[in-house]
Amino acid sequence: MRSLLLGAVLCLLGACSSTYQPPPPSVPPATNVPPAIPPVVVVPGQPPVVSTTRQPLPPSTVEPAAPVPAPAATPTSTLLASVQAAITAGDLERGAALSERALRISPRDAQLWYQLAIIRQRQNRLDEATNTARRALSFVGTDEILRRQINLLLEQVGAATSRNAR
Amino acid sequence: MGLWFVWIDYQIRRDFEALQWALPARIYSRPVELYVGAHVDAEVLTGYLQRLGYRRSGRVAGPGEYQLTDDGLRLRTRGFQFWDGAEPPVYAELSVADHHISMLQGEGGSELPLVRLEPVEIEQINPVTGEDRLPVSLAEVPPALVDAIIAIEDQRFYSHHGIDPKGIARAMWANVKAGGIVQGGSTLTQQLIKNLYLNRKQTLRRKAEEAVMAVALELHFSKDEILTAYLNEIFLGQDGNRAIHGFALAAQHYFGRPLNELRLDELALLAGVGRGATYYNPLRYPERAIARREVVLTSMHERGDIDDKEFEQARKAELQVREKGVTRTGYPAFMELVYENLSRDYDSDALRTEGLKIFTTLDVSMQAVVEARLDAAVKQVERASAKDNPLETAVVITDANTGEVRALAGGRKRGYSGFNRALHAKRPIGSLVKPAVYLTALESGQFTLASVLSDREIELRQPNGDVWSPQNYDRESNGDVYLFDALERSLNLATVDLGMQVGVDKVIDTLHRLGYVGNPQPYPSVLLGAVDMTPIEVAQLYQTLASSGFRSPLRAVEAVTTSSGEPLAFYGIETKQVADPAAVFLLEHAMQGVFERGTARYAANTIGGSMPLAGKTGTTNDLRDSWFAGYGNDLVGVVWIGHDNNAETGLTGATGALLVWSELMKELDIEPRDAIAPAEIMWDQVPQQAVRDSSDRDCGRTVSLPFHAEHMADVGISCEVNDSFFERVLDRFRSLGQ
Repeated sequence: MRSLLLGAVLCLLGACSSTYQPPPPSVPPATNVPPAIPPVVVVPGQPPVVSTTRQPLPPSTVEPAAPVPAPAATPTSTLLASVQAAITAGDLERGAALSERALRISPRDAQLWYQLAIIRQRQNRLDEATNTARRALSFVGTDEILRRQINLLLEQVGAATSRNAR
Repeated sequence: MGLWFVWIDYQIRRDFEALQWALPARIYSRPVELYVGAHVDAEVLTGYLQRLGYRRSGRVAGPGEYQLTDDGLRLRTRGFQFWDGAEPPVYAELSVADHHISMLQGEGGSELPLVRLEPVEIEQINPVTGEDRLPVSLAEVPPALVDAIIAIEDQRFYSHHGIDPKGIARAMWANVKAGGIVQGGSTLTQQLIKNLYLNRKQTLRRKAEEAVMAVALELHFSKDEILTAYLNEIFLGQDGNRAIHGFALAAQHYFGRPLNELRLDELALLAGVGRGATYYNPLRYPERAIARREVVLTSMHERGDIDDKEFEQARKAELQVREKGVTRTGYPAFMELVYENLSRDYDSDALRTEGLKIFTTLDVSMQAVVEARLDAAVKQVERASAKDNPLETAVVITDANTGEVRALAGGRKRGYSGFNRALHAKRPIGSLVKPAVYLTALESGQFTLASVLSDREIELRQPNGDVWSPQNYDRESNGDVYLFDALERSLNLATVDLGMQVGVDKVIDTLHRLGYVGNPQPYPSVLLGAVDMTPIEVAQLYQTLASSGFRSPLRAVEAVTTSSGEPLAFYGIETKQVADPAAVFLLEHAMQGVFERGTARYAANTIGGSMPLAGKTGTTNDLRDSWFAGYGNDLVGVVWIGHDNNAETGLTGATGALLVWSELMKELDIEPRDAIAPAEIMWDQVPQQAVRDSSDRDCGRTVSLPFHAEHMADVGISCEVNDSFFERVLDRFRSLGQ
């Protein structure tokens, strides 16, 4: 009986050091989750985002334009806004992941490849930046402004590569 | 005796505190993205939702439900923690027209540009114990389930101290009343301990030990902690060699839906299964399970957990278990590639214990199309005499722009798990090698699409001394032919002429740049495909061509996160320029010609609506291997057909693999190829008939060809530079005079 009591006392003492934690939820509760796709935002200091490729299916009818209609958000413009937000927050790897998500939806969009090249440049992954920018050029078509932007980026990356080599 | 108590107390405290379940890695498919313009069929989409366990209803009330409308559907997603962030749950309405989403909007018609559905869990890599579970916290468990468990298993759970003599008496009485065992006397705490030490023999001493352990456990830990452990630990079924533990996984296993989406009747049924998972298995013994559910519901009703209406509704509810096999169809061929990719960074132990989430590139809908069509498509090209030695096949389909493997078949039968031909069958590739020969030539600047090649018989001495006398497939020779024409018609002699001019070693170098890692001997026969590759190696070569000379290593894994969604690894799109895009554009002109005029022209009957496409047929000696590799804007596909014992098939690339490829790609609605011309590309007219001497030139009938601006057609050949009226008239007379 004394042993049982001793055991009980030990048990009680042991309870103070219990470290058992319930396992974490497999999916975080929705209420605590920031939306992955924020509304389209214009980030100051960033060039406006213009998709250069055709959209898969244009609306079949176009209503007469209301005064200053807001441009409809496309999947890629929505994701690019998230990319910009991630870059602004300093989370370049998430920005890259979001760019790639956009590329999976619109893989021949020169603007998206360009965006990814910019992220690789900021990550100082210069070889990837060069190749990604060249890939952007392969889809640029007749968009001369974008072509110049990409070439400028290639020059900057080339210069940085030379500096690193020295 | 005292030491025995102390030891038991120590043991249970140690084991419970350290209770960290080995969690299997979960492998997910590529998630479906919904947006206006997305390629979607309503039927395919509902199939995907069913794979996710969505419930079809007359009105979408909660997450995981969908409703069909006249032209599309409404749904409420569950949300998911992806590697790049959390996807919130949303309500969406969409319309589908002509295989594309034509409208997508949110609640009250609000703007909704993009919705990412949850990925399908395609596989688990289970711990060596074979145990699988989805750990949940108490807050995530529907209160009705807790009520049901307490009502049926341990009504005095919140008042006893681990063992419950009153409960035993009550259970005995209940069993006597029922004339059989309907209730057990052991508490939830005792059952938890029994489960934790499941492998121990149930002797009297063990039972005594377990009773003491139950008391000790209750002394050290709170009721909520014990209940949570019970909810996650309890064994609730067996699925092949996988043991189903815990109620969250049981919900998926029996109903195909998450725990928080189950109705009262389903929760009551799960609570009842705990007493005998095999005996009450609702998949195998629905009547027993329903009877058990009745007992649970009655007990809940008697305790006042549920009112009369709830009780009546739940007991009358139809049992809707998941369809057998729907969520458990494996993807052994693709999984082998996943293991291969993962083995670079993760050892087997990490995959079996840490609950990693592995996000793959598999498109389950595309894979389903391949699996559904492949066997019949091969049968169509199979000779009637092939009964004793049926043809085998392998298919690789990748995203043309990113190198992600979207579907894979290692054999002709659905879910085939034997020899994975897509990854391991190394076979000569025949004419599939030719684009590398022509690309080498076009990149050199010495050749254009209008270069004239000699398609004449030739004898070559191989480095080992053998004399090699290649032949065209039809054993004819064609004299002077244009370079583009030689590729379109897959002329062997002209290809050897070209290859010997550029050099076999240069061609092998091109193969390496395109992504081939082998080292074939530099024999001239390499020029006609005497080099062995697996279908996935071929897919890598054609991937680089489809990406305009940018190589992206083929990959099956996108990202890895911890069980709670913290990103661990992200295998992004790699792209490296390995060939001149202008030369690849020229090459592709001829590879589109393969479909328009060349060896793949018969595919137009099947897949004409998707033209233009680019590709190449491949046939090996004595018709042992039939290959086709081709691409549109979105997909690259490689099909191999042959026999495992290397017997003759009677098929060329065009009469075998091409037809299977076309059948699959038609079903997948491959996007036409829309190659974007690099700035250096110019167009020129050349005479249709290739001639070496400009005086024989006939500009009466011409073909338009692209050229690199720095390497235009010879002045003597071009019909545009000298195309004065006088020249045209002269040409006309010349042609009449022939």
